[in-house]
Amino acid sequence: MNPWLVTALFVLLCLAGPFAICARGDAINRLVGLEAGSNMAVVILLLLAAGFNRDFLTDLALALALLSFGGGLVFARFLERWF
Amino acid sequence: MVGMASFVLTAVGMLRARDVYQRIQYTYPTATLGLVAVVAAIVIHKSISQAGIKAIVIGLIVFWTNPALSHATARAARVREFGNWTPSEKERIQVTEDVE
Repeated sequence: MNPWLVTALFVLLCLAGPFAICARGDAINRLVGLEAGSNMAVVILLLLAAGFNRDFLTDLALALALLSFGGGLVFARFLERWF
Repeated sequence: MVGMASFVLTAVGMLRARDVYQRIQYTYPTATLGLVAVVAAIVIHKSISQAGIKAIVIGLIVFWTNPALSHATARAARVREFGNWTPSEKERIQVTEDVE
C-alpha cells in the first residue's frame, strides 16, 4: 500500500456521500449525486494509475472525464424536457 | 491533505445540503481543489511525462466542464420546479436593461 492507493481508498470511502444522494430523492437530486460521484471516480482512477505505476491506465480517467460531461449534459436536458 | 479535506467536504456537504441548488455548490470542492491537488501531486512525482501530461489534461477538462454541467443541471432543476428558467414576477429580481 503506497500513499497513492491509501488516498484512492480514502476517496472511495468519500464516494459514499454522493452514492447516498443517488440512492434517494427525486431525479434531479440523483443527477447531482451522479455528477459529484463521477468527478470522484475520475480522481480515483488517476490515483490508481499512479499507485500501480501503469501510465496507460490514465486513459481510463480521461475517457471517464469526457464521457461523464457528455452524459451529464444529456441527462440534464432530458430532465428539463420530459418530467 | 488539502485534496483529502476537499473530498470530505463534498461528501458531508452533499448530505447536509437542503435542496438541489445547495448540493450543486458542493460538487465544486472535488472538481477544483481536490482534483488540482491530485494532479499537482502526480506532476511532481512523475514530472512532465506521459502520465503527467495526461493528468494535466484531465484536470483542465474537469475544471472547465464542471461549471457548464452545473449550470445545465441548475437550469433543469429550475425548469422542473417552475416550468421556466427565467425569473418570475414574484421573485422581484432587478434586471438592468442598459448599463452605461
